[in-house]
Amino acid sequence: MSLVIKNLHARVKDGAPILNGINLEIPKGEVHAIMGPNGSGKSTLSKVLCGHPDYEVTAGSAEMDGQDLFAMSVDERSRAGLFLAFQYPVEVPGVTNANFMRAALQARLPKGEELEAVAFYKELRGKMKELGIDPKFTARAVNEGFSGGEKKRNDILQMMMLNPSYAILDETDSGLDVDALRIVSDGVNAMRAPFRSFMVITHYKRLLDYIRPDVVHVLYNGQIVKTAGFELVDHIEQHGFDFLKTEEL
Amino acid sequence: MDFPDSMSMEEAFALAEAEAKLNAALAESKARFENAVIPDRLNEDWRFGRPHKYARELAELLQSNTPCTGSAEVQGCDEEAVIINADDDDLKQTEMLMPTIGSDALLGLHLKRFGNGYALYLEKSYDSPIIINYRSSGLYTPSTFIMAAPGVHAHIIENIHCENGATIFAARNIQVAEGAKLKVELHAFCPGVEQVQGRCMVITNVQNMGGEVRHLTNFLNLDWAREETVAEIYAEGSDTQLYSSNTPLEHMVLDQHTRQVHHVGKAVSNLLYKNVLEDKTTATFAGNIYVAPGAHNTDAYQSNRNLMISEYATVNSLPGLEILADKVRCSHGSASGPMDEEQLFYLLSRGIPRHEAHQLIALGFVEEVDNKFNAPF
Ligand SMILES: Nc1ncnc2c1ncn2[C@@H]1O[C@H](COP(=O)(O)OP(=O)(O)OP(=O)(O)O)[C@@H](O)[C@H]1O
Ligand SMILES: [Mg+2]
Repeated sequence: MSLVIKNLHARVKDGAPILNGINLEIPKGEVHAIMGPNGSGKSTLSKVLCGHPDYEVTAGSAEMDGQDLFAMSVDERSRAGLFLAFQYPVEVPGVTNANFMRAALQARLPKGEELEAVAFYKELRGKMKELGIDPKFTARAVNEGFSGGEKKRNDILQMMMLNPSYAILDETDSGLDVDALRIVSDGVNAMRAPFRSFMVITHYKRLLDYIRPDVVHVLYNGQIVKTAGFELVDHIEQHGFDFLKTEEL
Repeated sequence: MDFPDSMSMEEAFALAEAEAKLNAALAESKARFENAVIPDRLNEDWRFGRPHKYARELAELLQSNTPCTGSAEVQGCDEEAVIINADDDDLKQTEMLMPTIGSDALLGLHLKRFGNGYALYLEKSYDSPIIINYRSSGLYTPSTFIMAAPGVHAHIIENIHCENGATIFAARNIQVAEGAKLKVELHAFCPGVEQVQGRCMVITNVQNMGGEVRHLTNFLNLDWAREETVAEIYAEGSDTQLYSSNTPLEHMVLDQHTRQVHHVGKAVSNLLYKNVLEDKTTATFAGNIYVAPGAHNTDAYQSNRNLMISEYATVNSLPGLEILADKVRCSHGSASGPMDEEQLFYLLSRGIPRHEAHQLIALGFVEEVDNKFNAPF
């Protein structure tokens, strides 16, 4: 059971290619870190996997536990267990956090079954407390007027509520203060399980010190150019990405 | 004219002067009804409004011997609510003086059918909303008069039920005295949602004499809805807010015209009209802000936004400004466009099916209006 990406090529619709043959396998239960310079294609990879309409897959495949991701609509992928915590979570005016979460959970129930409101609110409140989110945020419009860190936390809250099998965290650490970083990391660590895996995109070691990855990849020019253990994080932290230019890849 | 015994000479003169003014205004109004023509293609205020169909058919119905049949009821305000009858000259005069936006002739025909509806004289505050229901399944021409005395707080909900393809043409006059805080919401709709039907035209005149007034309109499930709302600001320090939120369906034609008239300065008016357009709906918005000479330090804003869900929907948005004073802060804006792709993707990426995601975003779009209207004073 794993997320398997093979020779994935994608481009902006009618535009330049961005992903140039990604090969990556993330087995269930593992945490993989993806690092790489700005503009190398990390967010594009995560959005392509979720089915963002800006991009077009020109070659390759992506399978989640044997299911062809690219044959599914965006919402089907989510219900099948894929989750993306956005680098820039989107503001949705007028739609409250509670209604948004309720709709997402309701969509996961069999036809004709109603979400149990009391249990839902109890769970939502509980998870908000865990993440240090003010209970008032249930009635606020999704991310509207939220600070950068509040948006990131809200995305993690959604992940906790939706219980995905494959979660992609795109620079979740950026914008979080030191305490929030620890709280969010604790939340992610508590979710680590044999039936779940994480793709953690980040620029910084401090997040990976909390959420210790099993494997570290470097994405560059739309390709995975290096895969190693945690020592690669240390190397990048000290020397940056210069090795990409000098090293024989 | 009756002069009370205790009246001073100055007071008597003032009263006589006021009466002369009123008579002049009434004479002028009489002339305006006599000279007015049924709106046609040449009427700028009916641009995009299909007057040859809607104005003409309404006029023909009003001129025919089709009787006015409708019922009126009020809840939550028993004592001060007066049912209007045809020989109430004061109220009739008030309606005669109401401005329209291109529909003097139609208002004249409404006056010929004058004699049903409610007048609410609000002398004290109300904690719970006052609800007025007008219902008809034929032709109906109710009038509503709301007068909020100084300092009064009240919330009025006016429902117009256009049943079985009814034509309801309402005239409304709302007067807000100094320090009063008044919320008035109007909902005109065809009950039952099988398919849109019924026509509704509403002419409203809001007169703000130094209070805070919020006015909201909402038209739903109708064939045709036309709104003409003129807000007149007569006192410094007054705050006038005009709102509308609509989610028209099928082939509904929504035709909204507004005017914010600042007769004096140092007052605020704010307009926010938002629509979500589906199917083959048409929405026209023509708004005008008028700042009279000398009405300095006016703050007036106007915004019309349309979310186009369907590519077959049509929007005509015509905001306008006419500013004849100095140190005025005015802005107007209109924006119409399809659903934001990033918002939609965000909802889809959480597993919310496309249809529900559309609905959530659309409701959220108009929710802003309801939230502002309902925010605590
Ligand atoms: N919708 C788009 N339209 C045009 N260019 C795009 C689009 N999406 C991505 N790109 C381009 O593709 C490249 C990769 O972008 P991407 O956001 O995936 O980078 P990243 O690795 O996530 O960078 P960062 O570390 O800065 O977040 C960039 O050059 C970017 O400008
Ligand atoms: Mg990125």
